[in-house]
Amino acid sequence: MTYFFQIVVSGIVVGSIYALAALGLVLVYKSSRVANFAHGQIIAAGAFITFFLTVDLGVPIFFSFLASMAITFFLAMSVERIFLRRLIGEPIISVIMVTIGLASIIDGLIYLTPFGTENFSFPPFLPDTPLTLAGVSISWTQLVGVIITFILIGGFSWFFKKSTVGISMRAVSDDQFGSMSVGISVPRVFGLAWATAGLSAAAAGCIIGNITGLNFDTLHAFGIVVFPVVILGGLDSILGAVVAGIIMGLIQQFAAGYLDGNWGLNGTGDVAPYVILLIILLFKPHGLFGIHEIERV
Amino acid sequence: MKKTTRVLTAALIMFFAFAATATAGQVYKLGFSGAITGPTSDAGNPLSKGIEDWFKYVNDNKLLGDDKIECTIRDDQYKTDVTKRNFEEYLDDGIVFYLNYSTGSTLGLKMDFEEEQMPTVPSSYHEGNLVDSTYIFIPVATYSENMVALAEYVVKNHKGGKPKVALFIHPSAFGRGPVEDTKKAVAAGLNMDIVEVVEHGKDLDNSAMLKRLMSKGVQYVICHTVQSPVATMIKDAMRLNVTAKSFGEPGKLTFLGAHYTGGADLIALAGDAAENYYWTCSYNLTTEDNEKSQKQLKLAKTYGRDDKAANSHNYAAGILQAQIPTQAIIMAKAAGLEVNPANLYKMLNQMNGAKVFNSFAAVGPVSYSANDHVGVDVVNIYKVDKGVFKAISSIESEYMKKLRAK
Repeated sequence: MTYFFQIVVSGIVVGSIYALAALGLVLVYKSSRVANFAHGQIIAAGAFITFFLTVDLGVPIFFSFLASMAITFFLAMSVERIFLRRLIGEPIISVIMVTIGLASIIDGLIYLTPFGTENFSFPPFLPDTPLTLAGVSISWTQLVGVIITFILIGGFSWFFKKSTVGISMRAVSDDQFGSMSVGISVPRVFGLAWATAGLSAAAAGCIIGNITGLNFDTLHAFGIVVFPVVILGGLDSILGAVVAGIIMGLIQQFAAGYLDGNWGLNGTGDVAPYVILLIILLFKPHGLFGIHEIERV
Repeated sequence: MKKTTRVLTAALIMFFAFAATATAGQVYKLGFSGAITGPTSDAGNPLSKGIEDWFKYVNDNKLLGDDKIECTIRDDQYKTDVTKRNFEEYLDDGIVFYLNYSTGSTLGLKMDFEEEQMPTVPSSYHEGNLVDSTYIFIPVATYSENMVALAEYVVKNHKGGKPKVALFIHPSAFGRGPVEDTKKAVAAGLNMDIVEVVEHGKDLDNSAMLKRLMSKGVQYVICHTVQSPVATMIKDAMRLNVTAKSFGEPGKLTFLGAHYTGGADLIALAGDAAENYYWTCSYNLTTEDNEKSQKQLKLAKTYGRDDKAANSHNYAAGILQAQIPTQAIIMAKAAGLEVNPANLYKMLNQMNGAKVFNSFAAVGPVSYSANDHVGVDVVNIYKVDKGVFKAISSIESEYMKKLRAK
């Protein structure tokens, strides 16, 4: 049973981190219906900013982490302001193409720094010894990652449900023109959505960077790795991202634990989440928590 | 009188111009296309610095007399289509030798090298580069040789029965090629069980895989991929307390890896979890603090490289990749031959016996012949000891020789 529970714990850890990384995509989609293909680059930027502040400037890691979130908050807001705001009202495909272009630009900028081509790791700041209970272990990095993930996700959920700005963002997501007619500033909402996405991306980048080490290629790939999580969750649902993230994490770990290496199977840990995604989408085409919009003609 | 002076002046100018041309020496054009940015640039970037510095050193120290090497270095971001375009432009430019980078582009352009009859040294040590190819010269032991050498080391040093081994590999031709050769070595009599071959993804947690391997009695994990997934795996192994503290410790996992899975970058990524990790590489490491590494560090210092690049085995790989054509040019000049692709190809095939090339970057001599296009046959086995890789053994894969002989 230890084996089973270890897989469950690992699945939840991985799934929570997927959920946090997916959150930025959901936030942008929720307000503007745009799939942001530059999300992985913002994840990487957040991780490298924290590293730079900690190692090169000697800022304590906790403050570096907060500062990095603040910097990516404004960075993502600026990106929206400079590149995307003028595309409000333009076809969605144009906006998506701009995010693809943005991904290349940020890639290029990061490649100009040593962070684009080298490997680093955060200085150790958590205890080395893992927490072990009945043979099931979890590292401090993983535990802290999961706690931060749930705090952020809880905070964002509250923000969208209870705060005026959050409700405005949901309103913009439902109907841009309707929102404008009741006095909501759509450009401001878009900017805020990008900014909060940047904030969550930085958090995800730091957690992933702590687990895998800091390698630009690995970090920015997570922007794409979490797309199935977002789709399974229903694209614009924060709860969906959490549930889908954990489902994906568990499927991945169970497939790796029980299918791989048996009956000639290999790599099912990577493939199984996509297979399950396809099966679920056959029955729920809008994802687990996606809204099926009904249009009257 | 005025007219005579003008004619004399013109004649003198013409004379000195011709004289200057005659003594200026030749310029030999070479080209390198590699991943200076983009995926795998953590290896490609320091490698390109090694190439650049070596050619600067050749010209600055007049190793070719008045002749000079002009090597154009271009970034292809690990994209084969860009590599092909770069190669074609280098051909138009009149290169006499070509340096390539990735496994994908080397396999993809293999036929182009044949058609153009262009001697090529790649940074890829994929065994498949040699199949149906006469113009590719691999600088050091192939990836397969690294992996089979590790397997041989496991068999030789394992105590008690047949060792159970898992292979942890990159999901690509680069990762799969050596697996096939390791399986062939086992079929040819290498006494070990390959319990599982694991192709990794972008895993954040390898607990399930590690527990599964443990449940199957695996004791050794041989990796052939890049550093990042290995770092994540060995960190997980340390958390689960399944890492062997000594080679082959029963009930634990001993981790070993081939060429791109080790070096200073692995330690940068994995930290303490890298302790007791075994790694094969044909390059001399600066942590060895020998005469060879001092030469490497001096070269890096001369051209203002930072410590990270200077101490990288990929920097050493770049130096060797540039030294090989340099040596071929020196041999062609010594033989009184014109420096062109055909003659450099001929020189490389003669780089054996008394003409082997000893490089400070590598752990053994570079030798080629018409039937052998692998340069350095020896790999060092390094082990992480107190945060640095230290050489513990040298090995030449016996089984790869047998397989090739077939």
